Amino acid sequence: MTEAAHVHAQLAHGHDEHAPTPPPTGWHRLTHPGWLRALWFTPLFASFWLAVTCLIRWAADWHPIWAAAPIVTVSLVVFPFGFLFGIGGFDYWLYYMSGKPTRPESHADHGARSWKDYFRINPDHKVIGMQYLCTVLFFFLVAGFLALLFRAELAKPGDQYFNPQTFNVLISNHAALMIFLVIIPGFAALGNFVIPLMIGAADMAFPRLNALSFWLLPIAGIMLIAGMVTPGGGPSAGWTCYAPLCSHQPLGQVFFNMAVQWAGASSIMTALNFLVTIITMRAPGMTFWRMPLLVWANFSTSLLVVLATPFIAGSQFFVMFDRVLHTNYFESGHGGYVIGYQHIFWFYSHPAVYIMMLPGFGIVSEIISVMSRKPIFGYRLMALSLLAILILGFSVWAHHMFVAGMASWLRVPMMVTTLLIAVPTGIKVFSWLATMWEGRIHFTTPMLFAVGFLAMFVIGGLSGIYLGSVPIDIHASDSYFIVAHIHYVLFGGSLMTIFAGIYYWYPKMTGRMYNERLGQLHFWLTFFAANLTFFPMHYIGLQGMPRRVADYADRFADFNLFISIASFGLGASTIVFFYNMVWSWAHGPAAGPNPWRSMTLEWQVSSPPPIFNFDEIPQVVGGPYEYGVPGARHAIFGAAKPEPVPAD
Amino acid sequence: MRRGSLLQLLLLTLAAFGIGAAVALLIPWMPDAASKQAGRIWFTYWFATWICLGIFAIVAAVLVYCLLKFRVREGDMRDGPPVHGHTTLEIAWTAVPFVLVTAIAIVSAIVLAQNGNAGKDPLVVKVTAQQFAWQFTYPNGQSYGVLRLPKDRNVKLRLTSYDVLHSFWVPQFGQKQDAVPGQTFSLVITPTKVGTYPVICTELCGLGHSLMRSTAIVMPVADYERWYKSAGAAPSAAAGGGGNAAAEQLFKTTGTCAACHTFTPAGTTGKVGPSLDHLKEAAAKAGQPLDAYVRQSIEDPDAYITPGYAKGVMSGSCCKQLSSNQVDQLVHYLVENTK
Repeated sequence: MTEAAHVHAQLAHGHDEHAPTPPPTGWHRLTHPGWLRALWFTPLFASFWLAVTCLIRWAADWHPIWAAAPIVTVSLVVFPFGFLFGIGGFDYWLYYMSGKPTRPESHADHGARSWKDYFRINPDHKVIGMQYLCTVLFFFLVAGFLALLFRAELAKPGDQYFNPQTFNVLISNHAALMIFLVIIPGFAALGNFVIPLMIGAADMAFPRLNALSFWLLPIAGIMLIAGMVTPGGGPSAGWTCYAPLCSHQPLGQVFFNMAVQWAGASSIMTALNFLVTIITMRAPGMTFWRMPLLVWANFSTSLLVVLATPFIAGSQFFVMFDRVLHTNYFESGHGGYVIGYQHIFWFYSHPAVYIMMLPGFGIVSEIISVMSRKPIFGYRLMALSLLAILILGFSVWAHHMFVAGMASWLRVPMMVTTLLIAVPTGIKVFSWLATMWEGRIHFTTPMLFAVGFLAMFVIGGLSGIYLGSVPIDIHASDSYFIVAHIHYVLFGGSLMTIFAGIYYWYPKMTGRMYNERLGQLHFWLTFFAANLTFFPMHYIGLQGMPRRVADYADRFADFNLFISIASFGLGASTIVFFYNMVWSWAHGPAAGPNPWRSMTLEWQVSSPPPIFNFDEIPQVVGGPYEYGVPGARHAIFGAAKPEPVPAD
Repeated sequence: MRRGSLLQLLLLTLAAFGIGAAVALLIPWMPDAASKQAGRIWFTYWFATWICLGIFAIVAAVLVYCLLKFRVREGDMRDGPPVHGHTTLEIAWTAVPFVLVTAIAIVSAIVLAQNGNAGKDPLVVKVTAQQFAWQFTYPNGQSYGVLRLPKDRNVKLRLTSYDVLHSFWVPQFGQKQDAVPGQTFSLVITPTKVGTYPVICTELCGLGHSLMRSTAIVMPVADYERWYKSAGAAPSAAAGGGGNAAAEQLFKTTGTCAACHTFTPAGTTGKVGPSLDHLKEAAAKAGQPLDAYVRQSIEDPDAYITPGYAKGVMSGSCCKQLSSNQVDQLVHYLVENTK
C-alpha cells in the first residue's frame, strides 16, 4: 500500500471516533473563529492600519493626510485580511507558527450538517465546491444583468439610458466579473467537488488552504462591484485595463486592480492544491494513464494558473503603483514603456483563455464518453493534446497585439504558434466526434450541452483561425468580430461546459435529480438565443463597428436591435436554469449513487458522497472509460488483498 | 463502417458545405475594398474561409449524423462498441490540419510583408490621435481633422498619440494600427477607389471613444493636387493665423474641442463635456468674468468643474499641445461668438 493510501485508510476509519466540537459559549463566542469575531475584528484591524498610514503621512508631512488613493489602497488590503482572520482563515497556521498547541482537528468539523456549515471556514472539498458554485452563480447573475443593461443602451444608436462613463463601467465589469468570478472559479468549483472523488482521495491535499482560497473569491467579487459605485466613478478602461488609460481612471480603478489580486491569489492557491492533490493523493492503482480526462484537464490548467497568474498580478500592481506611488512603469512621458503593459497582461491573459477552456474539455470528455456508452477515442492523444495546448499556450500571447505596435518581427512567429494550437484542439474535437460515432447516445441535458458546446466551439475555433492570421486580424481586431469570437469560445465554449458539468454532477452533489424537461428547455433556449445574439456580431464587426462603443453609426442600428432582443432571450433562459436548480434541490426525485451508469470513482459512492468520500479505499484496476468492454472494471472496492502498485 | 453510412455522411458533408458556402457568398461579409492592402487581406480571408468551411462541413455532418443515427431510447442499457482508437485516423487528423494551418500561415506572412511595403516615395502623413479627435498633418505642415488622400498613391501614415492608446481604422482600407503615446508607428495604405470613408478609433480611449470618428476622402490625383496647393495658400490655424474661420478650424482640429463640446456657432454637437452655448451663465455661476473663466477652463480645467461633470477628464487629455498664441485665439473666438 502506498503512503497516500495508508493515510486514506486512516482517515476513512478514523472519522467516526470524534464527537462534534461543542458550540462555544459566553465570551468564547466572540473569540471563536466565525462571523461574530469577523464583525469586531475586521474594523479594529483595518482602523489600526489606516491609523498607521495616516501617522506615516503626518510624520512625513504629506498632505492631505487623508488622501483618497493611499487610503483606498490600504483599505483594500487590510479589510479583507481582517475579515479572513476573523472568520478563522489563518487560525491553525497562526497557532502553529507561534508554537502554541494547535487545536486538535475534529473530523466533525468536516462536511456540512446544516446550512450554517456552508457559511464558515470549512475544510471539506465538497462543501467548498458548493460554496464556490453558489458564489459563482450569484456573480453570473450580476454580470449577466450588467450585459442586459448595456445591451438595452445599444439597442438604438445615440445616448439612451447611460452616459459614456457608466457604459464603460458596465462593459468593464461585465467582462471582469464573468472572467474572474464566473468562468475561472466555475471550473474550480466543479474541480473542487469532483477531483478528490475521481482520484479516490478523502479530500484535497491542503484542506485549510482550500477553504482560504474560496473565501478570497467573494472578497474579490464584492470589491469589483464596490468599485462600480465608488464616488468619482468606477473602473471604465475595459477588463483589459490598458495603460496608460487605466492609470488615469477615477478611484474605482484601484478597486479593480486589487480585486484582480484577490481573485488571482485564490486561483493560484486552488491550482497548487489541485496539483499536489493529483500528484500525491491518487488511490492505489490510479496511474496517470488511468486518470479520467477531467483530472488531466485540471492538472494542465493548474500548471497554467501557477505559471501565468503572477503576471496579471504584476501588471495590476504596476498600474496601481503608477497611480499611488507615482512610479512610471507605463507613463510614456517619464520613460515608461506603454506596450510593456500589454506584453505582461497577455502573458497571463492568453494562457487564461486556456485556463478557461481546458477544464471544459475535461468535463465534455467525461460526459460524451458516458452518454455515448463508448470508451473515449484516443485517450492518450487526448491527454497529450492537453499538454500540447499548455505548452503552445505560453508562446502565443502577442497575437492580441498584432496592431499594438510591438516589435514587428514578432508577428509571424506568434502567428505560426497561434495557428498551430488549432492542431491539438482539432485532435480533441475529432476524437469527441469519433467517441460519439456508433455509440448508443443518450441525449440527456448534460449531453445536449456537451454537443452544443462542440457546435459553438467549432465556430469559435474557426473564427480564431481568422484572427490568428495577421492580415485578417489587422482588419478585424478591436471590432465586433472579436466580441463575437470571444463569446463563441467563452459562452459557447466555457459556459456551456460549466452548465453541462453542473447538470452532470447535480445528482452527485445534491442527491437529487434535476428536472430533465426543464433542463432540455434551458439548453434549447440558451443555444438558440446565444447563436442569435453572437453570430450577427461577426458581420457588423467586419463591416466596421468597433467594440466597446456606447454609440455607433446608424447603419448598424437594425443589427444591434436584433442582437439586443436576442440577448434578452438569453437572459430569460437562465431563469429556467435557476428555477430548475432550486426546485429540484428541494423536490427532485432521489438520484441514487450512479444515475448515468458511469465508471469513474465519484459515481461508485453514495449521492451525496460520505464525509470522507470513501468508506473503503478503492483499488484502481483499469481505465476510466471501458464502456462496452466485457468484464472491465475501473476500480474494485473491498479487495481482499491490495495488488502491488507500480510506483509512478 | 458500412458503405451506406459512409455515403450518407458524404452527402451530409456536401450539404453542410453547400449551406456554409451560401452563407459565405451571399452575405457581403467584408466591405468593398478601397485599397490595395484591403484587396490582399480579403484574398487571405477567402483562402482561410474555404479551408474553414471544409472543416466546418465535416464536423457539422458527423455531429448531425450522430444526432440522427446513434440516439437511443431511454432505458436502452446496451453499450457501444469498445473502440479505443485508430492510429491511422489519429495521425490523419493531426497531420491534415497541420498542413492546412501552415498553408494559411504562409499566405498570411506573404500578404503581411506586401502590406507593410510602402514602395518608393510614399506620401507621408503624420497622424496624431488624442482624446477624442484625429489630426492629420501633411508634408507642407498643414493640419486637418479630415484625411484626404490621392487615389493610387502609396501613403505612409506615421501614427502617434498625445495621451492614451488609440487605434486608426478605416474598414474599407482593411488596415489598422494603434497610436501609442511616445512612439511612432507606420501604416501603409494605397487607396484604389474614390470615395468617402469613416475613420474609426477602435481602442477604448475614454469617455468620448465612440465619438472619436473622422472621415477619409480619397480624391482623383488632379483634384488632390489642386486641394493640396490651395490649402497651402490659406492661412493655417495650426500655424496661429488670424480670423474667425481660422479660429473655428482650430476649435475643430488642433484644439480638439469639438469632439467633446457642443458649440452651435461652430456647428459641433459633442456631449462628453458641458455645452459651450451658455458660457455667460456658466461664468456667472462660477463667479468670474467671461474672459477669465474661458481662459482658466482651457489652461487649468480642474480649477472649476461644471456641476455634473468629472474632474480630470479634460485636464487628462487636451490643451497641452496648444501654444499660448493658440489659447489666446480660442479664448477670443469663444468670447466673441457667445451671445
